Amino acid sequence: MTLTTPAPPAATGPGPPTPPVPSRRGDHRLRYAVVALVLIGAFTFLLVKGIGSALDFYLPADQAVAQEASLGSRTVNLEGVVAPGSIRPTPSGVDFVVTSGTTRLAVRNAGSPPQLFQADIPVIAVGHFSGGVFVSDQILVKHSSTYIAEHPKRVTAPNGTAR
Amino acid sequence: MSAPLRPAPAPPVAVGLPPPRRDRPPLPSRRARAAERTVGAVALAATAVTVWLGLWVTPPDQVQGNLVRLVYLHPGVAWVALYLAFGLAAVASLLYLWPRTRSLVWDRLAAAAVEVGVVFNVCTLVSGSIWGRPTWGVWWVWDARLTSTAVLLVLFLGYLAMRRIPAEPEVRAKRSAFVALFAAVDIPIVHFSVLWWRTLHQGATVLNANLSPKIHGSMAWTLLLGFLALTLVFVWMLLVRYRIGALEDWLGGGELELALAERRAEGALPEDGSTPAEPLGVG
Repeated sequence: MTLTTPAPPAATGPGPPTPPVPSRRGDHRLRYAVVALVLIGAFTFLLVKGIGSALDFYLPADQAVAQEASLGSRTVNLEGVVAPGSIRPTPSGVDFVVTSGTTRLAVRNAGSPPQLFQADIPVIAVGHFSGGVFVSDQILVKHSSTYIAEHPKRVTAPNGTAR
Repeated sequence: MSAPLRPAPAPPVAVGLPPPRRDRPPLPSRRARAAERTVGAVALAATAVTVWLGLWVTPPDQVQGNLVRLVYLHPGVAWVALYLAFGLAAVASLLYLWPRTRSLVWDRLAAAAVEVGVVFNVCTLVSGSIWGRPTWGVWWVWDARLTSTAVLLVLFLGYLAMRRIPAEPEVRAKRSAFVALFAAVDIPIVHFSVLWWRTLHQGATVLNANLSPKIHGSMAWTLLLGFLALTLVFVWMLLVRYRIGALEDWLGGGELELALAERRAEGALPEDGSTPAEPLGVG
């Protein structure tokens, strides 16, 4: 290697090297690309999140019981309606039974449930199966989209529903 | 700028303030201002009546008790953000891209709608979070409804950020229209998320599949009035923002040239060896 040897041409192909002129247009294109990238990133995040952990937030109790063997001790959001008369406060939290279709499942929750927790409303218990019982450490109240005025003279029908 | 400006002696670069604009700013007519004020006053009155009905007149809910009173606020705010503001932005963007209706008026309208919509989107997330804590038991969950609403906010924040990239008005308008339409894809996802996936968020009370509202009596009427009041608040905010947007467009890119000329004038002042001149502006 001698000093007179010209530097090998860069891998820019044939033709005279063009001076790097910073163009306004190219600058804008770059910024545009960055913005597009951020937007696509946001959507991809949503999609990956959905595919990875399923966009469904909960699993109904009847389906969960059917899949109990495959679920193992994996943490799931289990949904069911609190069976009337099944709520038993315990020293560590509360025991109750959820119904889902014809399925009944005992839930043992550690910690106090939210203030709206009561019989006959749908709840989501976050926890796992343990020997036929669902052990949870968080309860979310899944209230309905129906709004009925509280009435002081409301009577309870024979079938248990308020009219 | 009360300091007298001396003409600079044969400067190498152009020095001096650009001549003041002679054309008049696009100020609204007297009738337009009156209409704007009327909408604002009616919106305020409707909001006040909604608050009164919502907090004192309507009964507590059978399950939620007094927590139900957020139903007069939260869905209405979401309605404005999703369907009115972002929906309008999408329609205006389409009208801009359509060659026959292409006008920067649509671009300005879309920008104003998105800005107001972002405010309402934040209010949707905050009011929903405040409602969720006592009813569900948590401030936030990553269910489909909440996540897609948060994504919607990020998308339209991106729209606003992109508008700040310096560009010719037509270039910016075209880009913005494409970004708005891209972001608007999320609007139906948010709306149908409670049907397509199992969510902690409840389904629609009024705009449900068979369009039979699951709310009655004074609660239903207050809910309806709340929707109307928030719609009027949106219209008022949109009118104000559009008026300001028109003034901003009138000023255009002139501020940069003005600021450059001012700085050059500052540098040119003390040519007689005296102490540097007082700054022209306060900054």
